[in-house]
Amino acid sequence: MSAAMTDARPMPVDRPEFELTPLDASKIGQVERPLSLLERLWNVQIVRNLAVLLMFVVLWEAYTQIADVPKLLFPSFSDTCIAIVKAFNDHRMLAKITFTMSSLFMGYAVGLLVAAVLVSLASVWRVWADILTTATAMFNPLPSIAILPLSMLWFGLGTFSLVFILIHAVLWAVALNTYSGFQGVSHTQRMVGQNYGLRGVVFAAKILIPAALSTVLSGMKIGWAFAWRTMIGAELVFGATAQGGGLGWHIFENAELLNTDQVFAGLFIIILIGVAVEYLIFRTVELRTVRRWGMQR
Amino acid sequence: MAEPARALRDPVERPEFEHAGIGAANTADVARPLSLFERLSNVDPVRKFTVLLSVIVLWEVYTRAANVPPLIFPTFQDTVVALWRGFADYGLGGQIWASMSLLLTGYAIGLAIGAMLSFIAVSSRFGSDVLGTLTAMLNPLPAIALLPLALIWFGLGPKSLVFVLLHSIVWPVALNTHTGFMSVAEPLRMVGRNYGLRNVRYVAKILIPAAFPSILAGLKLGWAFAWRTLIAAELVFGAATQGGGLGWFIFASRNEMDIPGAFAGLLTVILIGFVVENVIFRNIEQRTVVRWGMHT
Repeated sequence: MSAAMTDARPMPVDRPEFELTPLDASKIGQVERPLSLLERLWNVQIVRNLAVLLMFVVLWEAYTQIADVPKLLFPSFSDTCIAIVKAFNDHRMLAKITFTMSSLFMGYAVGLLVAAVLVSLASVWRVWADILTTATAMFNPLPSIAILPLSMLWFGLGTFSLVFILIHAVLWAVALNTYSGFQGVSHTQRMVGQNYGLRGVVFAAKILIPAALSTVLSGMKIGWAFAWRTMIGAELVFGATAQGGGLGWHIFENAELLNTDQVFAGLFIIILIGVAVEYLIFRTVELRTVRRWGMQR
Repeated sequence: MAEPARALRDPVERPEFEHAGIGAANTADVARPLSLFERLSNVDPVRKFTVLLSVIVLWEVYTRAANVPPLIFPTFQDTVVALWRGFADYGLGGQIWASMSLLLTGYAIGLAIGAMLSFIAVSSRFGSDVLGTLTAMLNPLPAIALLPLALIWFGLGPKSLVFVLLHSIVWPVALNTHTGFMSVAEPLRMVGRNYGLRNVRYVAKILIPAAFPSILAGLKLGWAFAWRTLIAAELVFGAATQGGGLGWFIFASRNEMDIPGAFAGLLTVILIGFVVENVIFRNIEQRTVVRWGMHT
């Protein structure tokens, strides 16, 4: 039986030997050529981004000029640029920016401080950990702008009620991320710290914060995003109920007056500040810490 | 130059000795059963409920003992009564529905646009540049800042609210999806190409599962921004005209100095936010990224 099967196997086929003649290299054409200037430019990320930006601006300008869109509905790019200059000259834009940013930074700084205190308490005592997790689970989904009506009742119309809701906006997002980051620090790293005899604040500063920096940073970024949105929203509500004075109010006031070009100018400045904070400040911090340390790609 | 040979010291001879028997050591409790209290306090939900309960008790006791005027800070009891009356008399249920239906409409359309944008962005480098520039510019722009413009363009109504909601959802979702797609490992992509997957099937079967943690983070962020934007927009609406929805309920209650009503509205907002973040998204996370072992 088995002998019959071995016999049934196909015999290897003898194929004739052959040799390939080398291809004629001159017929292949360009194998490698230097990129033209345009191609090299197009390979630069920033050039492409600027080109996209330019394209949008040209499209916007051309559309509004050709279709003759009423200025009250959609001002052209050139109108917006003029409006920005006018905003700084006639509408005291610099004072408004200072007002917005100073309240924002005050709220952000106090929020970070309170979050730091709460998280340090939570990483030492279990009761505080329970309090912190319960509070963040409850208050993190609560939009801080919803407290604004109450805050205005408690603290009156003023900077303090703004700062209060900004603290609320920053505190929970930062506390949640920092605490979960601290929890995720590996036991080995903690033991290294204990081995060096580090305790309390020094332990947190030298071991926990560097080890959890990527989550701490993302918490700070989310906290900033919430605070920024809350600030503009609060100024809009303030603008609706009283005379505030800031970027959000600038937009609200000019929308009421149908100065649409000034509204666009306000939006532009808001975009510029937001881009500057996210891409200059936070990106730089990230590049110098978590990326340099190889903790984040 | 050779090192001088160090003279070795003679080993010290220590006398032999034997320990006397240590006998039964007085080591009290090495292991003892935990008391009921200790066992209870080791259960996570029990501790959290205790915290919640003690906050409520403190609130009630403080407002009663210090006799805080209900116009400044109502008692817990007043708030619960106001919540009940809100549902029974003031149509709080209808307001919740008004808010949620708007939010869901905006969320669904926003997701569709975000998905489309990121699909365009993965299929060509130019699309990726367009999306990158757009998100970099528009993501830091608070959606609520567009509300006055939306009111001019679309008038007072659900259309301008949905427009603002769209703006708050599309950019975080598109940004996170795109960065998630970009960081999908090359071997996974090659597996997909090896199976001959292309276009939609390639995205659906390879890119989306591989980038799901990042996509989910984008979805959560989009929800958080949309929720905050909606409440803020309703507050502005409430201030500018008679709108509807939860934010308006809070604003209107506060304007009528019905502070317990405002607290009831806040409590509802907290409850809805809690359910969405800690029940719905937690569940999705458990069933996908945690189960697939992709959770970091």
